[in-house]
Amino acid sequence: MKRIFLISFFTGILCYSVLAQDKLKIKFGDITEKDFAPKAYAIDSSAEAVILADIGTSEIIGNNKGWFSLRFKRFRRIHILNKNGYDIANVSIYLYTNGTDEENLDKLKATTYNLDNGKVVETKLDIKNNVFKDKIDKNRVFKKFTMPNVKEGSIIEYEYTIESDYLENLQPWEFQGGYPRLWSEYNLSLPDFLGYVFLTQGYRKYDINQRKQRSEVYRITDSRGTGATDFFNLTSGVSDYHWVMKDVTALKEENFTTSIDNHISKVEFQLSELREPLPPQKIMGTWPSLTEKFLNDEMFGMQLGKENNWLKDDVKPLIVDVSSPLEKARRIFNYVRDNFTCTDHTALYMRQTMKNLVKTKNGTVAELNLLLTAMLRYADIEADPVMLSTRSNGYSYALYPLRSQYNYVISLALIDGKKYFLDASEPRMGFGYLPIRCYNGHARVVNKEAIAEELLADNNLEKKNSIAFLTVTDKGSISGSLMQTPGYYESYNLRNRIKEKGKEKLAEDIAKALGSEYKMSNLQFDSLNKYEEPLGVHYDFEYENSGEDIIYFNPMLGEATKENPFKSAERTYPVEMPYTIDETFTLQMEIPTGYEVDELPKSMVVKLNEQDEGIFEYRISKSGGSISFRSKIKIGRAFFMPEEYEMLREFFNLIVSKQAEQIVFKKKK
Amino acid sequence: MTGIRFFLVTIFSFITLLLSANGGDGDYAVMRIPLTLLKHANAVKRMETISFEVINKGEAILRKKFAITVLNEKGDNQAVFVAYYDKLHEIKNIEGALFDAMGKELKRLKNKQIIDVTGNDDASLIDDNRRKIHGFFYKTYPYTVEYEVEEKYNGTLFFPVWVPRDDEFFSVEQSKITVKAPIDYTVRFKTFNFDTKPTEENDKSYKSLTWEIKNLLAIESEYAMPSWLELNPAIFLGPSAFEIQKYEGTMKDWNEFGKFINTLRQGRDVLPSNIKQAVHQIADPVTDIKEKIAKLYGYLQKNTRYISIQLGIGGWQPFDANYVATKAYGDCKALTNYMYSLLKEVGINSCYTLVNAGRKARKVVPDFPAQQFNHVILCVPLEKDTMWLECTSQTLPAGYLSDFTSDRYALAINDNGGKLIRTPKYGVKENLQMRHITATLENDASLIVKSKASYGGLQQDQYHELINSMSKDKVKEALHEELDFATYDILNFSYKENKSQLPFIEEELDIVVSRYATITGKRLFIVPNVMTRTYRKLPNDSTRKFDLDLTFEYKDVDTVEISLPEGYSAESMPQNVIITSKFGTYSSGVKLNGNKLYYYRSLEHFSGRFPAAAYPELVQFYEKMYKADRSKVVLVKTEATKGF
Repeated sequence: MKRIFLISFFTGILCYSVLAQDKLKIKFGDITEKDFAPKAYAIDSSAEAVILADIGTSEIIGNNKGWFSLRFKRFRRIHILNKNGYDIANVSIYLYTNGTDEENLDKLKATTYNLDNGKVVETKLDIKNNVFKDKIDKNRVFKKFTMPNVKEGSIIEYEYTIESDYLENLQPWEFQGGYPRLWSEYNLSLPDFLGYVFLTQGYRKYDINQRKQRSEVYRITDSRGTGATDFFNLTSGVSDYHWVMKDVTALKEENFTTSIDNHISKVEFQLSELREPLPPQKIMGTWPSLTEKFLNDEMFGMQLGKENNWLKDDVKPLIVDVSSPLEKARRIFNYVRDNFTCTDHTALYMRQTMKNLVKTKNGTVAELNLLLTAMLRYADIEADPVMLSTRSNGYSYALYPLRSQYNYVISLALIDGKKYFLDASEPRMGFGYLPIRCYNGHARVVNKEAIAEELLADNNLEKKNSIAFLTVTDKGSISGSLMQTPGYYESYNLRNRIKEKGKEKLAEDIAKALGSEYKMSNLQFDSLNKYEEPLGVHYDFEYENSGEDIIYFNPMLGEATKENPFKSAERTYPVEMPYTIDETFTLQMEIPTGYEVDELPKSMVVKLNEQDEGIFEYRISKSGGSISFRSKIKIGRAFFMPEEYEMLREFFNLIVSKQAEQIVFKKKK
Repeated sequence: MTGIRFFLVTIFSFITLLLSANGGDGDYAVMRIPLTLLKHANAVKRMETISFEVINKGEAILRKKFAITVLNEKGDNQAVFVAYYDKLHEIKNIEGALFDAMGKELKRLKNKQIIDVTGNDDASLIDDNRRKIHGFFYKTYPYTVEYEVEEKYNGTLFFPVWVPRDDEFFSVEQSKITVKAPIDYTVRFKTFNFDTKPTEENDKSYKSLTWEIKNLLAIESEYAMPSWLELNPAIFLGPSAFEIQKYEGTMKDWNEFGKFINTLRQGRDVLPSNIKQAVHQIADPVTDIKEKIAKLYGYLQKNTRYISIQLGIGGWQPFDANYVATKAYGDCKALTNYMYSLLKEVGINSCYTLVNAGRKARKVVPDFPAQQFNHVILCVPLEKDTMWLECTSQTLPAGYLSDFTSDRYALAINDNGGKLIRTPKYGVKENLQMRHITATLENDASLIVKSKASYGGLQQDQYHELINSMSKDKVKEALHEELDFATYDILNFSYKENKSQLPFIEEELDIVVSRYATITGKRLFIVPNVMTRTYRKLPNDSTRKFDLDLTFEYKDVDTVEISLPEGYSAESMPQNVIITSKFGTYSSGVKLNGNKLYYYRSLEHFSGRFPAAAYPELVQFYEKMYKADRSKVVLVKTEATKGF
């Protein structure tokens, strides 16, 4: 489904001709009284601030280190309409550093304009004293400032240049974001000798999309040596790209989204190759060439390729009396999961050696799962690392071998011809299960063959089963018991809650859902520590009948769906659920002594759509002195288009209302 | 109960295991922990030695060594070492070691394993807070970590606070604090829940005081318990004379502390002439003083915004009025000082006032002058009244403090020094919510609701936030997430703010709730209480230990009128409910008249301090309300027409 959708936004949108200007006539400081006139903008009448212009330019320049640098210029003009838009006046500019060489922020200029008695008044940012540097960690620096003299109705402008020696950091451009944009433009000039791959996403087409060819002389100097400065001139063809989107609305994050970043309109770049007249070099090669780089990297595969005899002390005791490879793998997995702490769930490379990891007992997700892979291999189990991009990190492209898209490493073991995806970074995640964050489509095995795998939410079934039996006691009360097997992820969450809050807190929640007319007792959990199995939940309850004439009884007990998960009335981008659903609730009960059924809810079966991708069954019947009841919700697909949202919402609306219905027992006369 | 039994079993099992092990146990061997300290504990502080040495009034050294035994996974967070530092506090040295259950040392901390990250939590644009973090990440329980840290204080405005048991499920075997100072320097202190006299040691040039405590059992936090300081042994230490970045002061009483705050503000109230002019233009035509203040407050709100910049002494000293005038922003100190300057320009005297802000902020200890504050507001004393101004807010009405700063001690600074006063308390009369609903139940069981409500005092705070911090579209989205209905659409909504010293907000909502009622064959089930339902249920805890400290008092009054489809008659009507308790009074009732259902509800919830023994009554109070608020009316179709 996802694939169809990705193609659809390249072809499915109507092209309309754009006759208007292809350059915006706008200059820093060129502000007149008229610019303040709008109190709101047609694009979004309730916007707190509107970005009037956001213009970026990236080019390659020759530097004085005998090579090339990137130069990125940005200009922004923003109209702040009310107080809630003040946040946009706080600016953070991200700069990469490798520890010694930091990207260079230059030519920063920022001015606020206010209308004072009909005249435009300028207030300049004091660059010297009011730009702050916040060093987040080794590789990330933020330069921060806030615009002076901002009021409701202010227009602010800023521009800056970033020079970077890191050719792989060609600045991406977001045409869309949290505020509406009237004009968003990106200009990119690329010489023929550098190859970049363009990655475009979103639901909008460019209003202007131009490419022009010209030629340019690049001047490179090199003064790093001891002797005289070397000069080079290099003439190359250049492509000038000019992209514009006009009147781009803001996008807001809602439930059941992988990440809003997957949906905004943006373009990103990846350095793919150096071409003539430079010494030709494939930087982004094929998938096998990328995985080979990983395999040869000191901080990734090198440590896997070694003999690793030092693992003996850790691995041998685990498998000493085991012959089954599956059992060996399981023990090794459990050992890593239970003895190591994951301190960072975003990492593609190791930051310490494996030997050190074994000593410190803490590491990133990449480190833990690479160690797992090494240990499995040491035990003669076929295992490879797999890299992927988590749901919140955005989709990855199977088509392009782009290292920067990946932020997570798991392990894939092949045992008796069966594949097991493993992640030892979560304390209670079972062997063969992955956290939901991993189900984001394409993943890539890091071995010689560089095999593509797909981890699809559609293949991830959350199956829940509940059975309740109710009998009538001698005293006339109804007593019952419920046995439940929640789905795997619900079990996982329950286990975590029990660890963190204790069983008592969970018992309180269940009792609350069941309602105060019931007394709950004897709550038990099976398989609490068998992390590969769903949890077993069991409890007894009693409904005290004080001899009312009428008993109203909801056969769903405390298990009814009480809220519609789809709250918003509308949806502008797809619904991405983490799994498909299959939930069954069954109840078998004796009719209370001395009562008869006055009314039973009607049975019903509702299909989600004609393709049978979802079904809700509500079946209830009376036979002799007992009632049989079953409610089943099944949704066979995890990804839904915005057009299908209304259907989903209505489906759950119906479930909530049907599951609220009651059986009515009346005292026999 | 099963949990506790299980827990004891595990403890005993590892103890027997330890006893059977052969000798060589270190100081941190788990078997040395007294059994009583293991009860309810996830971690035990084995030892702690804090030494705070005042070198002179501008410098001090803190040396701290402690060891914590972690008993299970839930105690792991106790074993992570975090040290904050900034321009005024340097970390000189950190040592650490890990021990196994026998107390055998497994490894020592290496300096390169310490992570150094920014401490800026995004609340500030920029500050100089940083953190050093280290952990051993050991997972074989129990284990022990030991850390030792030395910090240099460049400035002595702050002295350490000693709270040996600083978390729940955490017991303390032994903890000791020594404060050492030159012989002529007076260290002030106040002890809480702890009456042991300190041991004194003097020599020619120095004297020291030492307190020690042993065997504090683990406690478990409870709903609405009193503040941590009221329940736990603690000592506040404070300077007499102090110095911070060349600014000097003494702290022998609140007045002296006020004088110091004045030195930081000296000469910072000078307005540029254009602002002076603007101020007079606004204020001079107005005669009523309250209106003058409100107008100038409005001017502040319109022309400035809150931006936090906390660097070095800037964390304590306001940017001057001229800075705010030109930049049009500032933090709480700068904006309050600016508002003070605006008022001063038109001859109105006001007090720069320090508070400890936050809904659940630590209460200021009134009889121990010290820097116990985190925020600044402005207090304007008038002849008969006092007006309070929260200068960081763009939207609050003049004279109203929200629950961020209301009902607590505050240090008002005047020309001569400082004085501890209390901020206003908003009570039952002010915190009033009234709602009237007229609704129609359609044949498809959906309910068309028209609700008119008014929220007063602290009950309006969240609505004030909602309508002032979001665009109308986003307010609608928020309402779409927050109302307690399964599926609903908002057709129309509006809010009207009545800004005054006691503000209230009027709300109108038009909502359609899908399938609000449940129709089963000939019966119709409907909850007549449409919108105001108690959501709280308290656990039945028979072993309540601590007093109840309920701080929020309020009143809700609801009336509902629902038009039903024709042809239904009552089968089961909920009884009228009246609950009278020491925590409040509640009443509700419903009646059917023709095809109209009439419902009323009233809840007055008191605040105050109640003994632990009263807790079951509170549980019952909520339990009964919870049930009453959700009770259903059951109606039957008079003519038995089938189906829907």
